Amino acid sequence: MLLKRHIPLMILIGVGLLTLFGHFINNEGIQNFVNNDATQWFDIIASFAIFLGALNMLKIQLMKIIKKQKNWQYSILAVIGFAFAIFAGFFYRGANFITLSDVKDGQLAVVSAIIAEEINESNPHLIQTKLEASQTAFEIDKIYMTSESAKSVIEKLHPYVDTIELKSKPWGAHVQTKGSLFYWMFINIITPLGATMFALLAFFVASASYRAFRIRNFEATLLLVAGIILMLGRVPIGGLIPWWAVSIILMFGISAISAPFIKERSLLLGLTSGGIIIIIICGTFMGWNQHPPELLSIPVIQDWIFAYPTMAGSRALMIGIALGIVATSFRIIIGLDKSFLGDK
Amino acid sequence: MNNKVVIWSVLFLGVMGLYILGEGTIFVEGARLLFASIILVSITIYYYIDRASSGEDIYLRKIPGLQALEEAVGRATEMGKSVLFVPGIMDLDQVETVTGLNLLGHVAEYTAQYETSLNVPVSRSIVMEAGREICKESYLKSGRPDLYYDDMVHYISDEQFAYAAGVNGIMEREKPAACFYLGKFYAESLILAETGNSIGAIQIAGTGSPSQIPFFVTACDYTLIGEEFFTASAYLSNKPELVGSIKGQDIVKLLVMIAMVLTVVFNGLYQAGWIAFDILSLF
Amino acid sequence: MEIMKRIFILLGSLDRRIIFLIVGLSVLIPLLKPEWVNLPIRPRPESQIVFNEINKLNEGDKILLSFEYGPSTKPEIHPMSIAILKHLFAKNIQVYGFALWPDGNFMSTEAFSEVSHDYGKKYGIDYVNLGYKPGAEAVVKGIAADIRALYTVDLKGTPIDDIPMMKDVVNVENFDFVFSLSAGFPGSTEWVQYACDPKNIPMSTGVTSIQVTDILPYVENGQIRGILAGMPGAAEYESLVEAALKEMDLSVKPGKASGMMAAQSIAHVVIVLFIIFGNITYYITRKNKGEDKI
Repeated sequence: MLLKRHIPLMILIGVGLLTLFGHFINNEGIQNFVNNDATQWFDIIASFAIFLGALNMLKIQLMKIIKKQKNWQYSILAVIGFAFAIFAGFFYRGANFITLSDVKDGQLAVVSAIIAEEINESNPHLIQTKLEASQTAFEIDKIYMTSESAKSVIEKLHPYVDTIELKSKPWGAHVQTKGSLFYWMFINIITPLGATMFALLAFFVASASYRAFRIRNFEATLLLVAGIILMLGRVPIGGLIPWWAVSIILMFGISAISAPFIKERSLLLGLTSGGIIIIIICGTFMGWNQHPPELLSIPVIQDWIFAYPTMAGSRALMIGIALGIVATSFRIIIGLDKSFLGDK
Repeated sequence: MNNKVVIWSVLFLGVMGLYILGEGTIFVEGARLLFASIILVSITIYYYIDRASSGEDIYLRKIPGLQALEEAVGRATEMGKSVLFVPGIMDLDQVETVTGLNLLGHVAEYTAQYETSLNVPVSRSIVMEAGREICKESYLKSGRPDLYYDDMVHYISDEQFAYAAGVNGIMEREKPAACFYLGKFYAESLILAETGNSIGAIQIAGTGSPSQIPFFVTACDYTLIGEEFFTASAYLSNKPELVGSIKGQDIVKLLVMIAMVLTVVFNGLYQAGWIAFDILSLF
Repeated sequence: MEIMKRIFILLGSLDRRIIFLIVGLSVLIPLLKPEWVNLPIRPRPESQIVFNEINKLNEGDKILLSFEYGPSTKPEIHPMSIAILKHLFAKNIQVYGFALWPDGNFMSTEAFSEVSHDYGKKYGIDYVNLGYKPGAEAVVKGIAADIRALYTVDLKGTPIDDIPMMKDVVNVENFDFVFSLSAGFPGSTEWVQYACDPKNIPMSTGVTSIQVTDILPYVENGQIRGILAGMPGAAEYESLVEAALKEMDLSVKPGKASGMMAAQSIAHVVIVLFIIFGNITYYITRKNKGEDKI
């Protein structure tokens, strides 16, 4: 009980109170702990903990393959992907680059031409200028994933340069270097996969809207009308919808919202049709074809919906959620709520 | 007037007095309002915890989503299928994740009692370890430690959409009858909820991310909105102290509303030139 | 009339796979044939505010550009990064790249390499990329207090004291503007709360469409000056920058977001039509059920 309950609780209460009230204590050490150290401790723990998760995932996938459980073939892909990422990040640096110095007399132009061809530079003179200006070794602005691919360039330059070296970017920096294996994997595998998953949202939004936006009651109808206006108003096509089409949409929207309150369907139809006809006649006579009022512009209505009802709801939710977080944190800090330790 | 209110008010004034006296030396300057807010909120919540502990009966309205938790597990049991619990994609430093794990404890108790299989895919290693501890305790408390195994809480990926893809795959292959999404979510919320909808699962969601609530409301059967999610653990535990803290939280919200109205009124009067006091200078 | 009813009932009860196919085609066709749909892009007030704020900066001013997005949100936010960098480089503003997400390193590397050559910008003199540091809010607080307490080298491993443009930069107060390209947490909210608002540094942001409602309260309060809202915001900013660059007689490569707006527009119209058909079907089937009961 001491190790599993009391000690964790004491740590929790102590650190929680220190972090909370540390903001108000005029002491550099405490301020430093609260602002920097406290969050960094968590990051360090989380970074080490990642091994636990990775090994767990690997264990589960390997067991699936060994026991040939259902759909074990997909687990092979998971293990291969895992192994490839580890290989690219920790074992195979790639990110090779060539440095050269001591160009032989009279060979500067030749060397510049070779380098310019290699890096697709149309003006070899620029390279020559940089070579002349460089006081230390000149680094060719190209990264090679394998040393073999760099060797052909080295062979070309060898007769004209005394000192050529093939180096690699330092460990760590290599993952961010364009041309390294890890960077290639990130751009060509992870990026398209991530974008694909995010793109699924478009389809799911369509099917969710199709299913959920129904005129069931007042609130649902309000949601439907606001949703349609926002969807059309956010894109350029919304601005192209003419005033008379907007007035028809608005009249239908008003009818849909008031439909639950008007029992007589023929009355509702009459009011809607009448409203549309009146607006169109008024608009035609008042010259709205040339100068439509802002009220009948979908982007303007959309901006209003965003600026007022959406903002109000968003702020109310934020305040409620913030208070919820405060109360939950308070319960946890004073040791009242111990359910995350398993103690109810 | 209630003696306790007097005592707590005196305590509040005393603490504020100490702070003002020590400003610049022991305490930092310019944080008076923030400090006062924290003390006031803490005292308010603690006052109601105290009242509830003394035996006062506190009314809580029904929250359908929380009452449906046990029903959902029961449904999964009847259908002979599993229960899927997703505690969000963030780490344990987020309060929503802690809240989600608290609810996992309750769900794990139900699955232990009903002997339904529970699947908890997680996105963070620390959450995995915490989740395992919670599930183990819940199964032990329900008297079914034999049903618990470590891999019921398993890690998928830290990467947001890799995790979403993994959970989707679990849903499509195993077709759980009940899906719970309780934690911190971002853009993957709709992907998870729509997939759950397509397999016909009963879905209960709760999150502290305001932008994801509309997606859950659209696709899930029950959604815990805003503070409903944060009070869930206290609500389900039925312990007087925790229920009292919910009332305290509501009173704090009332105080915030009063402050907002007063600010609007006073600012309006100041702008109209009827008073010289600018209430906005306090903030 | 009966035939019409049947058609609407059919349209309103389509298999979701057919819906997905039609939505997919409505996005794919305008992307493949953008010339078929030519939509004018009119900048919104919020995008105009962002443009004006950056336009107010003078040559030699310093801007902190923070990359908080990854591969999944790249289609929405990367066009903003490119447009912002074009604007900044054209005005000869010094750019300091940071990242609060690990993926931000890759995004920033790609953005800088895509734009810097076109404007003849040199690393270390015109722009620098300090990269990612773990810690979320702690990093923002660190940058607000003392950059060198967090960063000793830049993304390439060069000590920052060896970089000429880092000479007079101690913390966020040495910057004239902060711009956050944010897709979630940590992001714009953390920059506002821990750096820009306390230190009174003007700030703007570009976010995904989903995040806009979370950030709008800060925009309304003036804590964030304007906002680029998702891909429409990126397209609007691109159009403003292209117009500005043409005025400066600089060559302009068209941005990607503008070309994608046609696809987004058509997709939105298709979704709205499905919603309308679904409701008509719902109304008809409900009416039929009511008649059957009688």
